[in-house]
Order: sequence, then structure tokens, then C-alpha cells
Amino acid sequence: MTTRTGLQVFLTVIAFAIAALGLPPHLTAQQNSSPVLTEAPAGDGTPVPRTPDGRADLSGFWNKGTHPNTSAPIEPLPFTAEGLKAFNDVANLIDPTSYCRFPGIPRMNSSPYPMEIVQLPDRVIFLYEYMHNFRVIWTDGRQHRPTWPTTLMGDSVGWWEGDTLVIDTVNLSGDTWLDSHGNRHSDELHVVERWRRISANELWYEATIDDPKFYTEPWTTGWVMPLAPPDWELMEYACTDNNRDAEEGLLQPGALDGSGRDGTAIATPSTYR
Amino acid sequence: MRVLPVLTAVTAVTVALLAAAPPALAHHSFAAQFDANRPVTLEGTVTKVEWQNPHIWVYLDVAGPDGEVVAWECEGDNPNTLTRRGWTSESVEVGKPITIYGYQARTGAAICNGRTWVFGGRTVFAAANDGGPPAAPPEQR
Repeated sequence: MTTRTGLQVFLTVIAFAIAALGLPPHLTAQQNSSPVLTEAPAGDGTPVPRTPDGRADLSGFWNKGTHPNTSAPIEPLPFTAEGLKAFNDVANLIDPTSYCRFPGIPRMNSSPYPMEIVQLPDRVIFLYEYMHNFRVIWTDGRQHRPTWPTTLMGDSVGWWEGDTLVIDTVNLSGDTWLDSHGNRHSDELHVVERWRRISANELWYEATIDDPKFYTEPWTTGWVMPLAPPDWELMEYACTDNNRDAEEGLLQPGALDGSGRDGTAIATPSTYR
Repeated sequence: MRVLPVLTAVTAVTVALLAAAPPALAHHSFAAQFDANRPVTLEGTVTKVEWQNPHIWVYLDVAGPDGEVVAWECEGDNPNTLTRRGWTSESVEVGKPITIYGYQARTGAAICNGRTWVFGGRTVFAAANDGGPPAAPPEQR
């Protein structure tokens, strides 16, 4: 019995070593967690690529990861009474993305699957695999559209503050959620995003949630997005292609990350996918 | 006699490694659809594979103890994610045996959330969503 256990341990170690060696580097990297943070970490020291005019270049294919609970490091959130009610209501609601509804801003950035950024002198284009979506952020000085009904992705304009791309988004409908944890927002949501490449391999993302109907004060969260492996490319993500879960009535109410609304909320680990 | 513990050890390591890669949290939750109190172990034959977004579905015929065959349908990970992990649409082959450790739908239908998949000599974790409990062969629980 002792011999057999010893043999098992030995073989386990050997198998582990072989398996670890056989793992492609990017798969190993995928297992790193990327915590939700409150301020930008130092980059890895590799030089930030620059465009011909000297600006930091955000262009690249980013393995942006999945961050279910974007408020994890700053909870409890400064809810208004209406905001708290909306948060608790999630137990009775089906996540809107389950029906393939666009996730909105900022949730698009905490949702799974990679994205490509194409930076041009007068605009920055975000190509998201998730929901096969895109954003075109003009940085030529134009203002928000003066009159326009609310939409799922809102109305965004951008500008550069040094090497940081700032995106200001308004006119968001109240029909999307802030994240998969079921953090909520109202139709008074105003989002300020800051995108900064902190190294050749890392993109720092920060979002400030300004929603006076649901929160007594703005709050800010962020995380690092790593560069994707060089062989990755955008693929089709047609949420409605074979969404049997929605089509066959299998969906049930509750937060996407399975967290409860009774004080037992879970902080689902972030992942790179 | 010696072969069994070797295989068990290798399988355990494989499961541990692959389980360490967290599942996608895609467009719906585990808890929303599947019942953590209804774990299922399905050993059957693949009858159909739907390699489509947002999640793959694998159909399998499973013979019960009484010999009656039940047609199960199991949801797996996202095809794009699986492709980046080296899978192809032909990784799970029609007509071949498969064992799926997962959880049954809350509705009680023969629908499962496949967590750990054993086929073609491999044991892989390929679940559709986060938030659910791990499901692995009993010896690894």
C-alpha cells in the first residue's frame, strides 16, 4: 500500500512536469488572474510602441479577459436607495446578455473574448469579438450628439490626455448591466473610460461610473489587459446562431456569476480567454 | 494492478491542469440554468455535435441500467475559446464514446452543463460558464 502510494506520488510529479512542459506558453499565461484594481500598476518595463507622431499606440490584439465583478475592490458601493433596490432586483431578473443584447458600456470591456484596437490619427476603433461588436471613438474634437435617444452602447467621444485615451460616454439606456455580477446602472449613467498602454504587453483600463440616480458618488474601477498571443485573430461570435438557452426557455433569473443578493455575493475570479 | 494507479495519477493531473484554466463566463450563468444539486455522469455515444456560437452542444445516447437509451444534450464551452485551446469541430466525433461529468438542467430535462469531458483518450475541462461547482470524475472530487 505504501509502495503504491509512493509510486502514485512519483508518477503524479512526473506527469505534472510533462504536462506543464507540454502546455503552450499562452495557455499557461491564460491561467494568471488579472485582479480588478483601483489604480494602474507599473508596467513590465517593455517600451510602449508609438505612432509616427509620437503618441502612445494602443493598437494591438488584446486578450482582455473576463471580469465578472468589477466592483470587487471597492465594495460596498455607494448606493442610493433606488440603486440598492435595483441591485437586489437582479435575483428576479434574467441577465440581458443572455438574450444576446449588447452588453453596453462599460460591460463590453469586462465581457469575455479578445478585442483588437486600431488607432488612427483622428479616431480609435475597437473591434470586439464578443457579440461581434465595435466602437468608433472619434478624437477630432467633436462633441456628443445634441439630441439622440438612449442606446445600448451610448454616445461616445474621445480625446487624448498625454498618452491616455479618455472616452466619455452618455445617452446609455438603463437596459444593460454594469457587469456579470449584476451591478446595475440607470439611464442617467455617464461613463468616463481611460485607456493607457503601460508597456508593450499591457493595457491599463479604468472606468468611472457616474450615475447619480443609483450611486451617491462616482466610483472607479480598472484592470490590466494583456496582449494576446500573436497567432490569435478575431473570430465570429454570433450570439444568436445557436442560443438554445434563450430560445428554449432554459434561462433563469440571477446574476451571471452566480452570486446571491443575501450578503453572500461571490467575487468570481477574473480570467483571460 | 499497477496500471490503474498510473492512469489515475495521470488523469488526476490532467484534470487539475485543465481545471486550472477557468471556464468562460459567457452570456449566461451556470446557476441560471443548471442545478448544482443534480450532478450527472453520462457515458454514451456521440450522435451529433453543434460547433456553433455561443456554445457548443454535444448530443449523446446514454443507456440506463435498464437498457433504455436516453438522448442527452450537453452544453460546452465557446467554440472560439476551444479553437484557441487547440480543439477543432472534429475533436468530438460522432459515433465515438464519450463520458461527460456535469449538471442537469433545472427544468429536469435530459440537458446538461458539461464540465469535464472524457473522449479520445483525453480528459478536459470545457464548461460553458462560471459560477457552477466543479464536476470531475468521482476519484478527483
